[in-house]
Amino acid sequence: MTLTVSGLSAERSGRIILHPTDLSIKPGARIGLVGASGSGKSTLGHALVDALREQKARVAHVPQSPDEALDPLRGMAFHWREAERALGLPHDADHQQALFRALKIETGDLRKRPWGWSRGMQQRFVIAMALIGAPDVLVMDEPTSALDPVVAARTMVLLEDYLSIRKTAMVLITHDLGLAAQWVTRLMVLDAGRLVEDRPTTEVLNAPQSVVAKSLCTHRNWLELPC
Amino acid sequence: MLELQNVSVKYGKVQILTGISVSLPAGQTLAVVGESGAGKSTLIAAILGLVKLADGHITWVDAPVNTCRPSLVMQEPRAAFNPVLPLRRSIMEPLRARGETIADTRLAQLCARLELPLDLLERKPGEVSIGQAQRAGILRGLIAGSPLILFDEPLSALDAVTQKHTAQLIADLQRDLGFAALIVTHDLGYAAAYSDEIAVLRKGRIEEITPTPAFVQNPQSQYGHELREAAFDLGALGYVA
Amino acid sequence: MTRSIISLLLRAFVVLTGTALATFTLLWNAPGDPATAIAMARYDSLLTEDVIAQVRAEVGLDAGFWPAFKGWIVPLLSGDFGYSSVTGRPVWPDLVSAISYTIPTAFAGLAIGLSLAIPLAIIATRHPGSWLDRFAVAIASLGAAIPAFWLGLLLILLFAVKLAWLPAMGARTPAHVILPALTLGLGVAAALTRIIRSGILEARQQPFLPAFTRRGVSARDLGRAHVAPHAAIPVITVLGLELAFLLEGIVMVEVIFSRPGLGSFLVNAIGARDFPKVQAVVVITALLFVVINLAIDVIYRLIDPRIGTQDA
Repeated sequence: MTLTVSGLSAERSGRIILHPTDLSIKPGARIGLVGASGSGKSTLGHALVDALREQKARVAHVPQSPDEALDPLRGMAFHWREAERALGLPHDADHQQALFRALKIETGDLRKRPWGWSRGMQQRFVIAMALIGAPDVLVMDEPTSALDPVVAARTMVLLEDYLSIRKTAMVLITHDLGLAAQWVTRLMVLDAGRLVEDRPTTEVLNAPQSVVAKSLCTHRNWLELPC
Repeated sequence: MLELQNVSVKYGKVQILTGISVSLPAGQTLAVVGESGAGKSTLIAAILGLVKLADGHITWVDAPVNTCRPSLVMQEPRAAFNPVLPLRRSIMEPLRARGETIADTRLAQLCARLELPLDLLERKPGEVSIGQAQRAGILRGLIAGSPLILFDEPLSALDAVTQKHTAQLIADLQRDLGFAALIVTHDLGYAAAYSDEIAVLRKGRIEEITPTPAFVQNPQSQYGHELREAAFDLGALGYVA
Repeated sequence: MTRSIISLLLRAFVVLTGTALATFTLLWNAPGDPATAIAMARYDSLLTEDVIAQVRAEVGLDAGFWPAFKGWIVPLLSGDFGYSSVTGRPVWPDLVSAISYTIPTAFAGLAIGLSLAIPLAIIATRHPGSWLDRFAVAIASLGAAIPAFWLGLLLILLFAVKLAWLPAMGARTPAHVILPALTLGLGVAAALTRIIRSGILEARQQPFLPAFTRRGVSARDLGRAHVAPHAAIPVITVLGLELAFLLEGIVMVEVIFSRPGLGSFLVNAIGARDFPKVQAVVVITALLFVVINLAIDVIYRLIDPRIGTQDA
């Protein structure tokens, strides 16, 4: 079922940081929210998650950094149980192990607190936690910025496999068009709190219309090699 | 020419760097890539003389490296400046430390090259954009005219477009000023586009040092391969059809 | 962990030794002749030079500073607090009896303080900036500004004199503890309310909290499992200091309410220049401080193991 939200907006101390924006997400869609820092893409991500939660849709959010997702005073096991309880689910150790294996963090010690894990493992723990309730939409804000490139790439591959089997839609929020182009089929380009482009990825890459999209496309990769 | 010969560093019993030998000719760029915890920051600290070497030595044209007074451009642009002082004060710090000054025209020139309006220097770090703050950080690195500049993840706090723009500014300045650049980065894309040689650092050891064009085609080490694959998966490197 | 415990104990040892030495030095160099004072306290009018010299020798004041210090500290290490230089009776039984009055007063005061401050702070932070919040802050500020001796007299006037509900003077019945404890408790509550309030407000700013809400964690669970522990950290720090103020306030309160506790014990001992007693109180107080601080350090480490570990 396609999820639709309309009129998402936000303001901070009287200044509009997100103009009214509509969004629809098909099952299994791969959407990239791209734009420069301060363009309102994280704000749109938060508004989207909150609006979908209000519709009782199954949606999960992965913030930019594990510091924004984990309580340093609480153990990893506590976080996991709490997330299960919040969804009204009983504790399921097998499901947990399956998710951990999918994200290659099964060696992590659950008795430890977040800072007892490396940042890369914390971030993947947060992603695993987002998958507990088998959401219909997974919104990820710069999921790879806390990870080393090799781990980041591996995580994206594992996640893509996991999501595509379950027809889970993914909204990838990033400043990096190169990353987005690799993983999404539809690009939404934001500029100063406004949605300036919403088209299939290939179309945007081949013929960007807006100034921002053009700049993003010019600076897409560091280097392009012949195939 | 910067030369590291068999450099090892220990913190207590933990070996951080083991037998590092690399050289960087004047005016050239060496990129050091590797995962977090590989010892990249320690390598920079060692060149700056901030940590004691357990073994080996570091030289600049056959003299101890501190004779060339290498300067550093840090990762977190805003954190790199004293938050209560105007940028100008912090930028001039390396000169003041040596009792030197800079001609106004020279400063204006450098600012223009770094796209920093002169009046911006009177602002505090919190009052400029993060891209401007990082360009101010680069200005501080250049101000003393050091022949060797160390860049510690100079772009990782910036967004993708600003990253590429800033990288080009650094490269243009390097061509004109002729300093040698040692760039520590986790971004193979940046390294591939702007360095002469790439050194892969892993668990405190150099896995390979390869000229950049050759590395991009075919890295010598297993980890080099993984980094290259990852760079394509993350869109740092791309293919043209 | 073992290493940090050893370092904590070592610190405690240094503090205690330093306190003992400092007290002894201060008393030794205090103006006026202690031997005369003791003789006066003991024999009232019989003040000949001979008597004073005899007292001086008996109490050990003629031996010089270091021998006298040694003569006090060595037995103290095995728990012997010595003898009163006025009555000649051992200090320890009197000290124990004084402590047995002071401890219940202190704990009752702390309990009253906490049981007022925590609910008040929680109510105040429900709607920060509301009239209720401002009212609570105003009451707390007012409470902190009122000195204990004045509040104590006010309470005596109201509950003992006007209403005749509670006894005021002495310590004959358990009911006698109520007014002194209330005096202490209201002061503690005033200070703690503001600290707990700002602790809660600050804890609510933790950057990870929105993510928990988006994960579906209820506001109630969020408050209990995440806000409360973060709010507790600054409160525990202040609680240690607050206990110190409590000990200070207790001297005043015991004098006002004529309770035979550690405070009265100390005031009487100073009046009579009874050095062994004064020193005993100071050492016991220092020990209490050290124990409280040790306990707070341990509690810290339980709540937030990042404190005191190197791998954080």
